[in-house]
Amino acid sequence: MEIEVEEKEGYHIVSPVGELDIYTVPLFRKVVLKLEGDRRHDLILDLTRVTFIDSSGLGSLIEIFQKVQSVEGEIAYVVDNPRILKIFKLVDLDKVFPVFPNLGRALQDVGVTGGYVDEEFFSDLT
Amino acid sequence: MTKSSSQTSPDGTHHLVVDLPCGKKSLIRARSKLVKFATDHGFADEAEDIALAAQEALKNIIQHACPADNNMHLECTADHDTISVEISDIGTGFDVGEVIDTPVPALANHGRGIPLIKGLMDTVTIVSEQEGTVVRMEKKRRA
Repeated sequence: MEIEVEEKEGYHIVSPVGELDIYTVPLFRKVVLKLEGDRRHDLILDLTRVTFIDSSGLGSLIEIFQKVQSVEGEIAYVVDNPRILKIFKLVDLDKVFPVFPNLGRALQDVGVTGGYVDEEFFSDLT
Repeated sequence: MTKSSSQTSPDGTHHLVVDLPCGKKSLIRARSKLVKFATDHGFADEAEDIALAAQEALKNIIQHACPADNNMHLECTADHDTISVEISDIGTGFDVGEVIDTPVPALANHGRGIPLIKGLMDTVTIVSEQEGTVVRMEKKRRA
């Protein structure tokens, strides 16, 4: 698994690439929980390149969510893969996590707008 | 060492039998074998659900059962419209009633394996005794 981390106006955008499961969770946790900076608890987890998730992967997302909430940080999840969304729904995480269909929407929700265009929104106007 | 065999009965039913050492490395092997078996026998649309459900059942064995023979036994059968998976071990059993119908809060720290299995498969039965556990699950071919 590869994990890309980008910072945008204080928010860390973390994008795991590949499978988020019992094998890769230790690396993912290590990367996310060791982020540095004053706003290390303001996170966007971009899961659009996650190809598979199991209960261990879900557990890591919950752990991060709880940690962020405990320090009053902000968190958003980006999910566009129907399979990942289906797994979220099976265990009701879609009702708890703030889930967005693309990064633009997630950034818009947390108030970061610079440089990101919600193509879906603008497609209605063309 | 992983041992596996695959055969087709005279009635056209396909069978896969796999014995896996009780450890994390076995999960990816089981998943890839199940995805291939399901896809090869007409259940491509259901393959990922079946493989994830099986992975969760196997993970429960690794985390909780600790079988004395260090073995996880997996059997998969596919006929025209149903694919079934049976996963068994001779490790420590558990109180099925306590876990199978107990709702798991969305933010619980653990316990999502069985809800996932139930959500992914059409029918799930679990028999667990002191001598071991058998998880049997079925999924129908999508119309």
